[in-house]
Amino acid sequence: MDDRLQTALDFSKYRQTLAIQRRLLKEKLQAKLTYGAAGGIFHIDHSLISFVQLCIDQGRVSGIPLIDANENPVLIDDLVKFRDEIFDRYFSASFEYMSEYEKIKKSRTVEKLVDL
Amino acid sequence: MKNGILIFAHNSRDIDYALMSLVSAKFAKTNLQVPVSLVVDKSTVEWMQTSNIYDLSQEIFDKIIEIEKPVTQNIRVLNDGYTSKTVPFINSNRASVWDLTPYDRTLLIDSDFLIMSNRLNEYWDVNSNVMLSPAMQDVRGDRKGILDSWVSETGIPLYWATTVMFTKNNESKIFFDLVDVIRTNYNYFADLFRFNPKQYRNDIAFSIAKHMLNGFDTGAENLPPILTLLDKDLIHSVGKNQLRVYLNDNMSEDQVVIASIKDLDVHVMNKQSIIRNAKEFLEIL
Repeated sequence: MDDRLQTALDFSKYRQTLAIQRRLLKEKLQAKLTYGAAGGIFHIDHSLISFVQLCIDQGRVSGIPLIDANENPVLIDDLVKFRDEIFDRYFSASFEYMSEYEKIKKSRTVEKLVDL
Repeated sequence: MKNGILIFAHNSRDIDYALMSLVSAKFAKTNLQVPVSLVVDKSTVEWMQTSNIYDLSQEIFDKIIEIEKPVTQNIRVLNDGYTSKTVPFINSNRASVWDLTPYDRTLLIDSDFLIMSNRLNEYWDVNSNVMLSPAMQDVRGDRKGILDSWVSETGIPLYWATTVMFTKNNESKIFFDLVDVIRTNYNYFADLFRFNPKQYRNDIAFSIAKHMLNGFDTGAENLPPILTLLDKDLIHSVGKNQLRVYLNDNMSEDQVVIASIKDLDVHVMNKQSIIRNAKEFLEIL
């Protein structure tokens, strides 16, 4: 086989593993941003964080119905506590995501990508 | 309300489900911090004693519930990497979980499901009496077929009974009773929902029951999708909440890709691969 073709095929293996690792990392982020509260299930994202903060800024802090990931209304008794919880989880998950993303970005071999 | 996990293990001559359950239970207990119980039969218990895992099982499991071994005609082809074997498959008593569970809220998991994160803890208080996973997610990302998403080409959506969470009440009783009706009239339901009845699958029976009890509709509350390693994939090595795996290419058996799964729950369909690495799993956890 032409050496250039062999080199390209070897590199494509690295790219395949890289793509899988990036997808698994996104999956892990989504898992960490899943939040069960008051009988509902929420996916923490910018929209949820912003809306909750807006409610608090408008003085609506208790007995607030939020629409959860299943589009069910869920009554949140203490919105400040809810905001603090989703805020903590968002930053903890996104910092971890960033750190692991940087790690795989710097890994230039398959072995390094899978921690071997 | 008492939450807990339940695993069924009925050993066949080829697969040590009890050993897999032990690995699965240890992962679940470590990451979810809830009790785990095991449903077994007499011959499986005898093998656990012979293979010296019974004492460890008593330590790990909250309760070991012994029942009669179900009689089965069910067989399936199991791949272990590139080799395959036709083996008996004892899975017909899953609907009895409602009667057997010692918990108010139960997470029923397959013995080849490894819980390597605490994600499922978010679902204990979700206001839904029976929840299943609505989808499987291939780790490699490009090997999912139509029958991984649908009961048949013209049928209803396929749910995955790898993880089932339920509250023990009248509504869930109706669900599990219906699963048993579907199992005992499998050919009839195969005609109705247009699937191949050759092998009894809990996924299909549970999907039909879910569909019917949703008012012949979809769109109910669900557990997360099941991240899945196919039975042609092989575990390369294990770490704490980490599997390094060889992912098979459907197009060519010579082409494999290596990947690392860390801090994510994963369904490992290659059972022998778990069994080969059981010692390492049990030491690391």
